[in-house]
Amino acid sequence: MAHDTHAISYKTYGLTWFWLLVLTGLALGLGYAPIPERIKALLLVCTTLAKVLVIAAIFMHLRYERINLILITFTPLILAIIFFSFTFPETMGSASHVIQVR
Amino acid sequence: MDSSLAAEQQRILASDWGGGKSPFGTSWSKFMMWIFIISDALTFAGFLIAYGFMRSISPAWPKQTEIFNMVLITFMTFALISSSAVMAMAVGAARASNPKLAFRFLVLTIIGGFIFLGCQAYEWTHFIEEGARPWTNPWMPAVPQFTAAFFVITGFHGFHVFSGVTILAVVAIRAAMGKYSGDQVENAGLYWHFVDVVWVFVFAFFYLL
Repeated sequence: MAHDTHAISYKTYGLTWFWLLVLTGLALGLGYAPIPERIKALLLVCTTLAKVLVIAAIFMHLRYERINLILITFTPLILAIIFFSFTFPETMGSASHVIQVR
Repeated sequence: MDSSLAAEQQRILASDWGGGKSPFGTSWSKFMMWIFIISDALTFAGFLIAYGFMRSISPAWPKQTEIFNMVLITFMTFALISSSAVMAMAVGAARASNPKLAFRFLVLTIIGGFIFLGCQAYEWTHFIEEGARPWTNPWMPAVPQFTAAFFVITGFHGFHVFSGVTILAVVAIRAAMGKYSGDQVENAGLYWHFVDVVWVFVFAFFYLL
């Protein structure tokens, strides 16, 4: 099986941990950065996806699994993005009356 | 029997899907853990999409970085990422048939989980003391959905962390007794890393954005 043939060294785990902390620091800095919200959102999505891919690939050993397992893992996430894409345009129009600010 | 049908049966039997093989190249228990992770990921995706939807249709939203203690939240993130790294090492030690080392790494992972849960209990206590409720909160602009989303998302995630700590404790005890397999440690590790992945999303989209 895939996990039996690919032993990852402790050094690799240590380096992964270090880069995850760097990305966390970067995300934190973005949270306070005086930049437009849309750009901030885009950059936060990028740093978040980078962290998730690193965790999935190294810590969860997904990069050493068969391609069909990798595909079955990410397919639902694509469906979630499609779901979000369908619902999000609702918020662009006249739906702002739904939540009232007191 | 028709010869073409027999040939087709032979082809299927010889394929990965013909039975007696592992088409995904992994054990049954690990594959089931992946299926669980995918379904649970969709649950959290639903929560976060609902949060994004509420936030988008709200004319205003409280500034989270001014309400939350971001030093504490960052420390919680540090604790969870560190425990995730140690958990990966525990899986490596278990695969290398080193139960003593695996046990030590598992204990460190559990400590990381407890630190996270302790910080979250502290955060919730202060938040509630300041007047936060799922249906109302004192921060301006007063959007009730802000605290509703907070309690549901962080509460559901916290429950996952608590479940993870419980699972890891069972695996650690079994490792100490020598009654463990690499698969058991790896499956527990997959769950723990998933909890970390969810927090990465919560940290970015709920606390920072």
